[in-house]
Amino acid sequence: MESNDHQKHSHHFILPTKTALTIGAILLGLTGVTVLMGSVHLGSFNMALALLVATVKASLVCGYFMNLKYDKAGNGFVFSTAFLFLAIFAVLTGTDIFFRGDVYVKGPLLAATSGGPAKFKTPWIASAEISAHGKELFGQQCTACHGVGGAGDGAAAAALNPKPRNFTANVGWKNGPKPSQIFKTLKEGIAGGAMASYASLPVEDRWALSQYVASLNPQPQKDSDADLALVGVKGGNQEGVETASSIPVEAAIDLLVNEAKAKKAGT
Amino acid sequence: MSNSHADNSHGHGHHPALAHHFNNMEDQFEAAKFGMWLFLVTEVLMFGGLFIGYIVFRGLYPEMFAEAHKVLSVPMGALNTIVLITSSLTMLLGVTSAQRGERTKSVRFLWVTILLAACFLVVKYFEYSHKFHEGLLPGALFHNEHITHPKAPLFFSLYFMMTGLHGFHVVVGMCLIFWIIRRSKRNEFSPEFYTPVELVGFYWHFVDLVWIYLFPLMYLVP
Repeated sequence: MESNDHQKHSHHFILPTKTALTIGAILLGLTGVTVLMGSVHLGSFNMALALLVATVKASLVCGYFMNLKYDKAGNGFVFSTAFLFLAIFAVLTGTDIFFRGDVYVKGPLLAATSGGPAKFKTPWIASAEISAHGKELFGQQCTACHGVGGAGDGAAAAALNPKPRNFTANVGWKNGPKPSQIFKTLKEGIAGGAMASYASLPVEDRWALSQYVASLNPQPQKDSDADLALVGVKGGNQEGVETASSIPVEAAIDLLVNEAKAKKAGT
Repeated sequence: MSNSHADNSHGHGHHPALAHHFNNMEDQFEAAKFGMWLFLVTEVLMFGGLFIGYIVFRGLYPEMFAEAHKVLSVPMGALNTIVLITSSLTMLLGVTSAQRGERTKSVRFLWVTILLAACFLVVKYFEYSHKFHEGLLPGALFHNEHITHPKAPLFFSLYFMMTGLHGFHVVVGMCLIFWIIRRSKRNEFSPEFYTPVELVGFYWHFVDLVWIYLFPLMYLVP
């Protein structure tokens, strides 16, 4: 009985040489197909086809060279779980990376912080341009809570207590409704509420938002020189305007890369 | 029955390669093979992390990949694909020869496999030295004026990390094949026991498998 067990091993399936050579030839042929496909331009179809061919090749290697076709199903199952988990990994990572833009703003924020020329020399003075810029930023940063019209009725408002500020009413402004006061709110946030600090936004963008939000007020308030001085703007020149105390990570990476490059170019 | 293993007195001689905690050669072989598949699962996941890094950066900077991949030589990559697939075939023939008990033939095929693996590394050496020379290097080491995209160093980080880890596997594979050649010469394998030969074969086919994907992804980005 036991001696029979010992002999069992020799009954394993051995891949016939002819099959091995055939599979080898197919694999080499498919490599040729892959290379030739590179010279035909089918747009994004190219990569899909190349990966399809690669997967056919991989299946042949697993099935015949690694014997999975003739082996117990368990081994093939175990190996395929690796690809299942890889797929989960890929899908979760992909949904995060490729759809993050819908949640956080990237474009204008990055452009403004990565050393682009300042568009507004005196952003604390109201103008049509800066309000338009502010409106654009408002649509990206603020509407989730404050609503598209700024009435404090955004989709997330229902879950918040205290409720987000209604910008279209002249009551209840914690720091006041003047642009400089809104600017202060954007810098510091509101303690005890959901309003976070937006100090990571460039100064210019924060002023633009302040101007736009102030303009939503039925009785828009203007800043006096004293108001402006409170947030560091003195005598209408740029001296004293504090810079962003922190910047988004992606912007920081951009800055560091640019700096390193400039340094390299200098030496 | 169960205590007969402890005193090692089966009455009839069992195979010298049979470890005392296995009932028979079949169980031992299946256990070893299962272990090898588990190991290959971890290998897939290790390379998988890099492949997902590739997907992410390619998704974020498609135009950078399209520009940077042009410096890779398709003929060299294709040549290496052919070399590696052929080596997988000779490895397989080495294994089947061992399974049939044809020792001389098996060893000959294994030597050809090592030779092809060396060819692969020589081609890779020429590719790498070209990139070193042109300053096509990962991250901050990158210094090449012809590629203008600011994120291009990322492509070369991925290129060197992925092909480097794969190249490391090739070197390890060569050592393993050399190890089974030596054991084979000592007449340790037979149609009843060839587990190490087959499992080193699996490892080698896996190395081939990774390259099958690396080649189109790195060299043939459209």
